[in-house]
Amino acid sequence: MSARSYKPGETVDFVVVGSGAAGGVMARELSRAGFDVIVMEQGPRFTAADFRHDELDYWFNNALLNSPQSSPQTFRRTAAETAQRVKDFPSLWYARMVGGSSNHFTANFWRFHEVDFKERSLLGAIPGTNFADWPIDYAELEPYYTKVEWDVGVSGLAGASPFDPPRTKPYPMPPLPVKSSGVLLERGARKLGMHPFPAPMAIASVPYKGRPACAHCGFCMGFGCEMQAKSSTLYTMIPEAEATGRCEVRSESYVFRVDVNDRDRVTGVTYFDRDRRERFQPARAVVLCANGAESARLLLMSANARHPDGLANSSGLVGRNLMFNTYTETHAIFEHELNEYKSVQVTRIVHDFYDSDPKRGFYGGGGFDSRIGLNPIGWALFAPPASRAWGPEFKALIEAMPRAMVVATHGTSLPLESNRVDLDPELKDAWGMPAMRVTYKDHPDDLAFAAFLQDRGYDVMQAAGAQQAWKAPITEATGSPHLLGTCRMGNDPATSVVDRYHRTHDVRNLFVCDGSSFVTSGRGQPTMTIQALAFRAGDHIARFARQGEI
Amino acid sequence: MKNNNTSRREFLRASGGAIGAAWLGLNWPDVAAAAQHAHDAAAGRVDHEFKVLDPRQARDVAAIAAQIVPTDERPGATEAGVVYFIDHVHAGIYAGSKTEFLAALGAFQAEFAKQHPDAGQFADLDAQAQHGYLKSIEATPFFGQMRFLTICGLLALPSYGGNERKLGWQLVGFVDQHAWTAPYGHYDRDYPGFAPYAKTQQS
Repeated sequence: MSARSYKPGETVDFVVVGSGAAGGVMARELSRAGFDVIVMEQGPRFTAADFRHDELDYWFNNALLNSPQSSPQTFRRTAAETAQRVKDFPSLWYARMVGGSSNHFTANFWRFHEVDFKERSLLGAIPGTNFADWPIDYAELEPYYTKVEWDVGVSGLAGASPFDPPRTKPYPMPPLPVKSSGVLLERGARKLGMHPFPAPMAIASVPYKGRPACAHCGFCMGFGCEMQAKSSTLYTMIPEAEATGRCEVRSESYVFRVDVNDRDRVTGVTYFDRDRRERFQPARAVVLCANGAESARLLLMSANARHPDGLANSSGLVGRNLMFNTYTETHAIFEHELNEYKSVQVTRIVHDFYDSDPKRGFYGGGGFDSRIGLNPIGWALFAPPASRAWGPEFKALIEAMPRAMVVATHGTSLPLESNRVDLDPELKDAWGMPAMRVTYKDHPDDLAFAAFLQDRGYDVMQAAGAQQAWKAPITEATGSPHLLGTCRMGNDPATSVVDRYHRTHDVRNLFVCDGSSFVTSGRGQPTMTIQALAFRAGDHIARFARQGEI
Repeated sequence: MKNNNTSRREFLRASGGAIGAAWLGLNWPDVAAAAQHAHDAAAGRVDHEFKVLDPRQARDVAAIAAQIVPTDERPGATEAGVVYFIDHVHAGIYAGSKTEFLAALGAFQAEFAKQHPDAGQFADLDAQAQHGYLKSIEATPFFGQMRFLTICGLLALPSYGGNERKLGWQLVGFVDQHAWTAPYGHYDRDYPGFAPYAKTQQS
């Protein structure tokens, strides 16, 4: 079967808004379940041959991203400030294209641990935050994590980490070959009694399901994969959805309103097509998978006379509890060459500090990995300490790049009602729609834990025998590609936006499933959980549809 | 064309171990296009004609870039043609910032002239005096922008006008082969394999 093309105005069972990590999975699950599906994607459709190894264009000219020129955003730390337009790089960034951010992600695919779903019960309330348990637990999600690993394609070594949660199947592919940074991280961490292990990555280490193995080009983070070895939905879920003959992916179609009738039933979506003509696509149900920034913005833009504060927003929480994941770096230089520009970003990780420990005096958990980060422009720009930022010392430092590595930490962000996505009162995007306004200030515990974890990474580099090591300054976040929490799941309609099946509490035939569903941030690397949630939601939504419960 | 063929052969040799022959047969055009693009973009064409900067502006820009990545026994910003990159991108991908950039450069030159009424222009100072002057303005947005542009001019694809003959990449040890096999570096060469943890170590 080949991709379906629906007639203009033809009513479909489902419109899925967004074709990324969640949307791709949702499209495949619903179309395979026998339903007619249209996926609306605001960005273009690229093929593998369109991707380039152009660091300048991809990282410093936003080639794949939501553009600050056409899709502007404003940023402020607190509601007391007037948000300022973000100029060169978006605050909340994502790949704006078919496959979404699953094209340009680094492909770190950590499962959540059991503790992630029930920390509020285990640790108690954290005053001033919306720290809460999830309405589902790990056991309920486990089969879907396994589905991600096997259907989307993840390389890793089951049982390697003593901290791993229970699993029903091993990884379908062995881990990617270790890099020198991974060996050094492992050496230092083992010396200190930690338990480093091979990183699970959504990159094919061997040919898998008709895709080739990784060629180790080194251009993963921020780039599309021209080998199709990265398990982007562009190469996995989307073609499989189209192969059902029931799924159309409509690219360059920017949905700006979810339409409801006066009985609070969704009737479809209104969007701008590639010629910026306004069009209506009728649907029996709508699933938003537009990411943790855009799904919330779309609900807020869908406000009408009966829902002046936005659709599905009776809780007032649409857009709130925005969470990132904290990120820090320790840089190190060793005696011999590592050549970290080769192959995938990450090959070893440490989860010894995954759980929050009340003895530390602050909440937080996370992990760290070995990598280089951006290379070569990004390393030269961002790695050097201020005292060696230019001149002869700078030159000597960048000449040492082959011997350099980075320990990157990934940690929790607490859900705060004040951290949010909403609509800028003045600024409009290139289509005349309200720009996204971002309000974000890290909780002190987030920064305290980030510093704690950075110190552990620094210790590991010392133990590994680094000639030099230095910690990058930790600054308050002004943005992230991890877009979480803005339509949180929960059983109580007063304190959550969607229920445990991702159905909005307010609108029976409207669902939201992506990073916005997260109740807590996890420890970083959210895409694995986003996709597991999407597989699970797809199962339940299909069941509801079959049973006439939508 | 000889170089193109070499590039394709290198790419295939390096990636051949990892890619199934059947897949490659099916997808050769895509892979070839990606490899070809990487190669063409890297080859670049040296173009020493200024499109944005006048000679006086170009002299100062080149002098600042040479302070940021100086030339010693190894090439620096000057040899890598960073000034041409900075010129060309303001007629290319950063054309939208051209006015702003030229205004900031103009302000830099005006401030310099105010402080050094007899010195001609910044590029006329000796290297040590240039370094001292830049030290005094290193916290300004203009200097930050010049640092950004210099690094990009050194390390971006040569097709943008800098990184001539891949001198910048050679300086930082980056090889644009775009497909590799392990071992990648010194430390993974003799890695004995992952040693599992004993069950008793579990926590």
